Amino acid sequence: ALEDLFSTLHRHIEAGDFPQAVKVADQVLKAAPGDEDAVRCKVVGHIKSDETDKALAAIRAAERLPIDLSYYKAYCYYRQNKLQEALELLRGQEESSAVLQLESQIFYRLGRMNDCMDSYQKLQKYKIDSMDLKINTIAALVAAGR
Amino acid sequence: NPIVLDMAYNAIEFPSLENRM
Ligand SMILES: [K+]
Repeated sequence: ALEDLFSTLHRHIEAGDFPQAVKVADQVLKAAPGDEDAVRCKVVGHIKSDETDKALAAIRAAERLPIDLSYYKAYCYYRQNKLQEALELLRGQEESSAVLQLESQIFYRLGRMNDCMDSYQKLQKYKIDSMDLKINTIAALVAAGR
Repeated sequence: NPIVLDMAYNAIEFPSLENRM
């Protein structure tokens, strides 16, 4: 049953076995084509396995479905260094901490340090207490020569 | 330039499957 497949999928995710999670997501999709959770699990599983090309292929395969995968697509483009394409996709997204974090990394790579600092400024209101964010903010400050 | 950590990677999460199991 679908419930059993999702239980197995959940176990693989919890264990950090992302390639196996993708396999089970595919089994779900065979039984229930277009299932949103399965599509998302497949795309995220590929991303977490550093399989950017496969993640993009899964996103393209789901293009006709009413599922917004553009954040994942933007992230994949970032990984492929297609930075303008990634920014373009983020522009259509509602502001969130995830969007701002990715945006800040793209601006950093583009050397747009003022925009990068703006993203960090906007991130303040999400009260993310992360060492990564502190490290990245300092890196941007250093790169900006401030 | 200092290495920038990939916060976005960490922010990407699997959907909750709680009500699917
Ligand atoms: K980076």
